[in-house]
Amino acid sequence: MAETNTTQPLQTVIVRIQRFNPDVDKKAHMQDFKVEVPAGITLLETLELIKNKMDGTLTYQKSCRHAICGSCAMNVNGKNMLVCKVPLRDVAKNGKVEVRPLQYVPIIKDLVVDRTSFWEQYERAKPWLVPPEQMPEKEFRVSPEEVHALNEAQSCIMCGACYTACTVVAFNKKYYGPAAMLKAYMRVMDPRDTIPGERLKEVGSEDGVFKCHTIFNCIDACPKGLNPTQAIETLRKLAQRRAAFEAERAERLKTIAEPIKK
Amino acid sequence: MANYETITHDVVIVGAGLAGTWAALQASRAGVKDIGVISKIHPLRSHSGAAQGGIAAALSNVQAVPGTGAEGPLEATNENGPLVDTWEMHMADTIKGSDWLGDQDAIEILVKDAIKIIYEYEHLGCVFSRLDDGRIAQRRFGGHSMPRANYSADRTGHVLLHTVHEQALRFGVKFYSDWQCLDLIIEDGVCRGIVALDIVSGKLRVMRAKAVMFGTGGYGRAFKITSNAFANTGDGVAIAYANGVPLMDMEFVQFHPTGLWGSGILMSEACRGEGGHLLNGNNERFMANYAPSKMELAPRDMVSRSEQNEINNGRGAGPNKDAIWLDLRHLGRDKILEKLPEVREFAINFVGVDPIDNLVPIQPTAHYSMGGIPTTADGQVIANAKSDPVVGFYAAGECSCVSVHGANRLGTNSLLEASVFGKRAGDEIARFVKGGAKLYNVTGDPVEKVEKRISTIFARNGKERVDDVAQELKTTMTNNCGVFRDGERLQVAMRDIKALQERIKTARVEDKSHRFNTDLLHAIETENLLNFSEVIVHGAITRTESRGAHSRTDFANRDDANWLKHTVAHKPSNPNDPPILSYKPVNIDYKRYPPMERKY
Repeated sequence: MAETNTTQPLQTVIVRIQRFNPDVDKKAHMQDFKVEVPAGITLLETLELIKNKMDGTLTYQKSCRHAICGSCAMNVNGKNMLVCKVPLRDVAKNGKVEVRPLQYVPIIKDLVVDRTSFWEQYERAKPWLVPPEQMPEKEFRVSPEEVHALNEAQSCIMCGACYTACTVVAFNKKYYGPAAMLKAYMRVMDPRDTIPGERLKEVGSEDGVFKCHTIFNCIDACPKGLNPTQAIETLRKLAQRRAAFEAERAERLKTIAEPIKK
Repeated sequence: MANYETITHDVVIVGAGLAGTWAALQASRAGVKDIGVISKIHPLRSHSGAAQGGIAAALSNVQAVPGTGAEGPLEATNENGPLVDTWEMHMADTIKGSDWLGDQDAIEILVKDAIKIIYEYEHLGCVFSRLDDGRIAQRRFGGHSMPRANYSADRTGHVLLHTVHEQALRFGVKFYSDWQCLDLIIEDGVCRGIVALDIVSGKLRVMRAKAVMFGTGGYGRAFKITSNAFANTGDGVAIAYANGVPLMDMEFVQFHPTGLWGSGILMSEACRGEGGHLLNGNNERFMANYAPSKMELAPRDMVSRSEQNEINNGRGAGPNKDAIWLDLRHLGRDKILEKLPEVREFAINFVGVDPIDNLVPIQPTAHYSMGGIPTTADGQVIANAKSDPVVGFYAAGECSCVSVHGANRLGTNSLLEASVFGKRAGDEIARFVKGGAKLYNVTGDPVEKVEKRISTIFARNGKERVDDVAQELKTTMTNNCGVFRDGERLQVAMRDIKALQERIKTARVEDKSHRFNTDLLHAIETENLLNFSEVIVHGAITRTESRGAHSRTDFANRDDANWLKHTVAHKPSNPNDPPILSYKPVNIDYKRYPPMERKY
């Protein structure tokens, strides 16, 4: 049976939040808010309560509140997460929780960060499909197994939690970063894509897959449980046999409009 | 004042969900190269991406195993055999779903273009779920007589949005992220641009254009229990109304049957499309008493009413008997993990229940805005019930009202509508711009009015906060303008709205800074909610019948003799007067699809 909010006990929590408005503050500082809230509420609901009842100047981003839009990624107790999907009690076990903006990118205000470099890498990875010039009358034929290989990558919500947990990104903004690489992986693996060779050449370049230190911060940070490191590993292997992979794709594209036979 | 920068594009689009982005992509492909799209959140965070279950089109890829009935297993069709599904069947379902308030000429365009646009999405890179032979997989959805929901697991909107955004980038569309539209510039009946706020810097900008298009989304945030994102405050609808553009059929708000209990977060209709059941507090599949042929897959308005009726009659579930159970347990772990992975996570995260093993408590939740800015089927905004155009102004998607959904939208028709009519608007805008549209001068200072509005908001220093006003509005809308309505409660809602419209004038904003001021935005958005909520409630009071999602206990029957017509509401010149209503006839082909009793 489900629990209901009406009978939930209250919990008292100190929410310690990093504050910073570059127009007036010399440097960031931490501010404590003591809240008494129902035990089951999310961290986003807690921030809402603080903003609407205690301090209207607190600034953060939010939209869908069910972990699909990617607006509310923040650093909570040192770990990146979407605050809309995390129950307060899970992150405030000793009555305290610390909320900071995502790291390694400029702060716009309080918990809002400037993701410009993240989006630049996304665009640089050419996230769009480059389909064959001849379109069939109906759909290209893609097998359930081929779709399965793309499922993880297409689930990415571009929240930037992985990018801002990556220690390579921290020191090198030319690096693609895990999310853009996951996107590149998705297009490389898409049987309809006509430029996998070009893509592999780009992600195999000096800012690409070989820069990854495989320390798995991206996997720990991903709120959707995705595995960018594995995608990067696969891209590394494919980049080393680029010509063969291109030839396989050219072969696959010959039958891309025909029914798949088992 | 005049301390602002002016930006000029051939086309300015507000909103970067499916409708706005399709319009941009299509206009760009048609040769219009100077397009700017603004969005108050990053385009990929738009609410189109939250749609889960599917997008409708009669592809005929799947059918029920012959002889197994409405709940039987599905199988791939013989692709060389006869079509099992047609656009005509999709059309008939949509008209019946709309309770005959949908315009049939527009619906015909919707269902015919559906097939083309699904294939186009596929060609542009959308990763649909597939059948073994590589065709696009399809599932059942409420109110559709055939399995024609094309899907990508339970994240269909997400993959469609990413696909069209990627292609728009490929075609060089310029996006302005974190820009909020605050006003339209319409002079002498011609739209000449917008006033926008660059949220990061807090600076106002004039954006001039030959054509302006709104794809600003729905207005579900006017309700307390809602599936809608925080962003869905109907800004475009409110701005259009404030500038003398009418709103159509605003009283028709869809309540989705399966919002998570307490929050209204959506559990996709795909839960039922894949075979999930609804149980009341006595563990009975109560839909047998309301829609025996369709059961849980009756249209949303009917299922929501049935749920509310169970709850109102003491047969609700849970400790307060104010919930309904969604039962997915019999689908099994594998099917849930493969077909419904996201919604399973929602249930775990937000009500602490894993649907693989447990019943999920749900309730009706405000979900979709059937009404909006009236347009032609080419996205041209119309100025009145006679369909005179507002030159240079276009709209598509949930903020618009074409009307293809009439009094009740069928599931999977909204992603379709935003795509089809967004694309058509893009084509029409390209024709308009390439046909010699002028960049009209803006006279006077369009920023002055907006600056004054903002300084007035900053000067408010009452005891109350903006959010207190917003919460009261949402509560009265859910309680008094919800699944069931009656004249008395609607009057309560109207009194509350009028009182709240006064109270917002002193409600305090605490953040007075320019940089990324979400406190200020909340005040502006709440004013928007208050302005169009009056139109919703006034339309609901006036419409003395029950049709689709507008269900009045004091006028329980549909009344075609008096009410088979669209409500068109204009802003009155005196704010103390109610909206000025006129009516527009519904386009009906009386030979092919005459109004009939709506039974499932």
